[in-house]
Amino acid sequence: MSSESLLKPSPLIPVTRTDIVQSLIDGVDRYNPDNVSILEDYLGQQLQNEEYDLMANLAILKLYQFNPHLVNEHVIINILVKALTAIPNPDFNLCLYLLHESSLADESITKLTELQQCLEQARFREFWEIYGDESCKELASEATGFEDAIRKVILTTITMAYQSISVNLLSSYLNYNPADKEFESFIQSRGLEIKEEVVHIPKNADNDAKPTVIRENIKFEQLTKVVGYSNEL
Amino acid sequence: MYQEGFEEEIDLSSDIDLLTNNVYTEVEEELDDESLQQMQLLLQQQYAQQEIPEVVKNFIIYFHRNILENNVYELHGIYENSFNRLTEKFYAKTPWPEADFIAPLVNEDQVFLTLYRELYYRHIYSKLTQTLTIEHRFHSYENYCDLFNYILNSGGPVSLELPNQWLWDIIDEFIYQFQSFCNYRNRLKNKTKEEIALLRENVQVWSCYSVLNVLYSLITKSRITEQLLVSKHGGDMIEAAGEYGSRPLYKMLGYFSIIGLLRVHCLLGDYTLALKMMDNIELNKKALFARVTACHVTTYYYVGFAYMMMRRYADAIKAFSHILVFIARTKMYHTRSYQFDQINKKGDQMYALLTICIALCPTRLDENIHTHLKEKYGEHLIKMQRGEEGLQTFEDLFLYACPKFISPIGPNFEDPNALVQSIEPHLHHAKIFLAEVRHQILIPTLRSYLKLYTTMGIDKLAAFLDIDSDELRIQLLIVKQKSRQQKWIKGTLLEGEYVTTSDLDFCLKQDMIHIAESKVGRRYGDWFLRNINKFQDIIAGMDFHN
Repeated sequence: MSSESLLKPSPLIPVTRTDIVQSLIDGVDRYNPDNVSILEDYLGQQLQNEEYDLMANLAILKLYQFNPHLVNEHVIINILVKALTAIPNPDFNLCLYLLHESSLADESITKLTELQQCLEQARFREFWEIYGDESCKELASEATGFEDAIRKVILTTITMAYQSISVNLLSSYLNYNPADKEFESFIQSRGLEIKEEVVHIPKNADNDAKPTVIRENIKFEQLTKVVGYSNEL
Repeated sequence: MYQEGFEEEIDLSSDIDLLTNNVYTEVEEELDDESLQQMQLLLQQQYAQQEIPEVVKNFIIYFHRNILENNVYELHGIYENSFNRLTEKFYAKTPWPEADFIAPLVNEDQVFLTLYRELYYRHIYSKLTQTLTIEHRFHSYENYCDLFNYILNSGGPVSLELPNQWLWDIIDEFIYQFQSFCNYRNRLKNKTKEEIALLRENVQVWSCYSVLNVLYSLITKSRITEQLLVSKHGGDMIEAAGEYGSRPLYKMLGYFSIIGLLRVHCLLGDYTLALKMMDNIELNKKALFARVTACHVTTYYYVGFAYMMMRRYADAIKAFSHILVFIARTKMYHTRSYQFDQINKKGDQMYALLTICIALCPTRLDENIHTHLKEKYGEHLIKMQRGEEGLQTFEDLFLYACPKFISPIGPNFEDPNALVQSIEPHLHHAKIFLAEVRHQILIPTLRSYLKLYTTMGIDKLAAFLDIDSDELRIQLLIVKQKSRQQKWIKGTLLEGEYVTTSDLDFCLKQDMIHIAESKVGRRYGDWFLRNINKFQDIIAGMDFHN
């Protein structure tokens, strides 16, 4: 069993980031409106190749924040769609904070926010219900592998809490028919086993609750003064 | 000694006598317009100068001399004490004399006059808010432009030296006035046609780009990033600093601009970028920001706030606790400081933010902080843990303690709606944050039940809570997710890994909940260290008497 949580923050420097994008993120060039297309193209690449770069996408929103004439609703939606796949990281909210106040009333953004709320609140069946609507599916249509990415988000939440869970329950969370072959292959691809209508999840750092006693950890720095006294003897 | 001179009570009656002599009668009527204007200015100057108390005149002359001599030590006293004392005495309800009127006293020294105006406008902003006009805002902006132009574009480093405190205040005030202007511009409702026209014609005044440009330019010019890297990893500091950065004025302005950007980005809602600004600054007592108390407090307030908005409550709690302990310990030193009220207010706000964080992520606090928090916000904390009804308390505390957010783009002047509807960026941020809080509003109730058992069936607990078992499963998943948080371990402030931040954990085996609570063992270290120190003091004392 590994001691590390299953949750991982969105990487600060994803491997897919090019030097050009890196220099945009680090320097004052990030404020130059001419550079927005470089970042938008990079977002296109993320959508196509199932990659994700939060910092670069926030840089787009920053440019939009300062230059309303650049704003492209379509790009904002794609950024938010990608942020949904990063839950439970706070990325989606970090994007919302950068949007103009009036954007929160936008129909598509409201829809995506509903989806976000469902995922954050573990209301997975509700998520799929809302998502099932064609207009909603359309919003995420450019993000390759979106549905599977969401399933991974959901499954991570489940594997953090459960050691075993009934097939019926899990398949409903993942929006599969329990008899479906796809369900079985998805479960197996994530290293889980199905035995007698129950999915067994190996122990990990998050689903293995053990009572512990937290002992204090005295650091050497705390002792420097005391050690110093020995010099005076 | 001059210092004593201007503190003496002076007799104003002689000045008043002078004023009653009517000088205007001597002006001849045939004068053409231009010379008339000049004459008027001269007369105004004379008139105004006569009104300036003698001590203030002496003060200005003395102040000017020390600026010329770069006497940082004396300037420190002038800036922190004398100026504020004179303000209390003579300018509690009126502005300081206009720079034009004191110009003859300082040989029209433009650099001094720019610095003087910095104080002049700052005084109006802080003490005479009611009389603040759009012209003041514009002129103060121009004055900052003059000051930064002089510092950045004089063809080489300028020889000016100022106390750190003042340098920090320049950056701090520059951002404050920017923020104040943005909020002013967002409320067109009660403005006159003239004011709206002025705003419309001068969109570049206090624009985001111009403010960021100043801060980034100071950082670049001072090569502060390079300097910080050298102080961290070693290397040639003189080479890293360059001809500008090796002067304290540039170095400190560059450094304070980093903290300034931390703040500006928070005000704009860009929390990741805010913390990214701090990439090369380590949060410890040796850091430069600790040299100026106000800067120290600001740094932690915004770092803590950014963490909170990124859901990193444990990191936010650490930042707030650290600085609140510092404020409590140094209270006796800054009671007399002119910034005492401001620091206290920030401290209060941070207690409110700390309460929010504690409600979302129960954590053991430093004992003093805990006592103080209970005194101030104990009742709030209880309410916040009572489910739905607690939401209002979260909102109240958030709105009280959040920074004054900026909406970077002014109103759309073409849109008639903009004239009646003001832009309220803080409501935008509160709304998003509170949606986040709403998810976890039932956690405290659930936790209190879980704490009582080691194993329990889902159905049974659902019955206790009076919810259906599907809903309970959902709530349990939320408890689980929220008990993991990204937390700083090493590296830059943005780095961190997910760790458990809750003392209560559980796992589900189909329909059974298995609960485990971790307990904190007794802490001996602090007690022993304290007593070893005490003992050592006693021994040292005994030696002394022998």
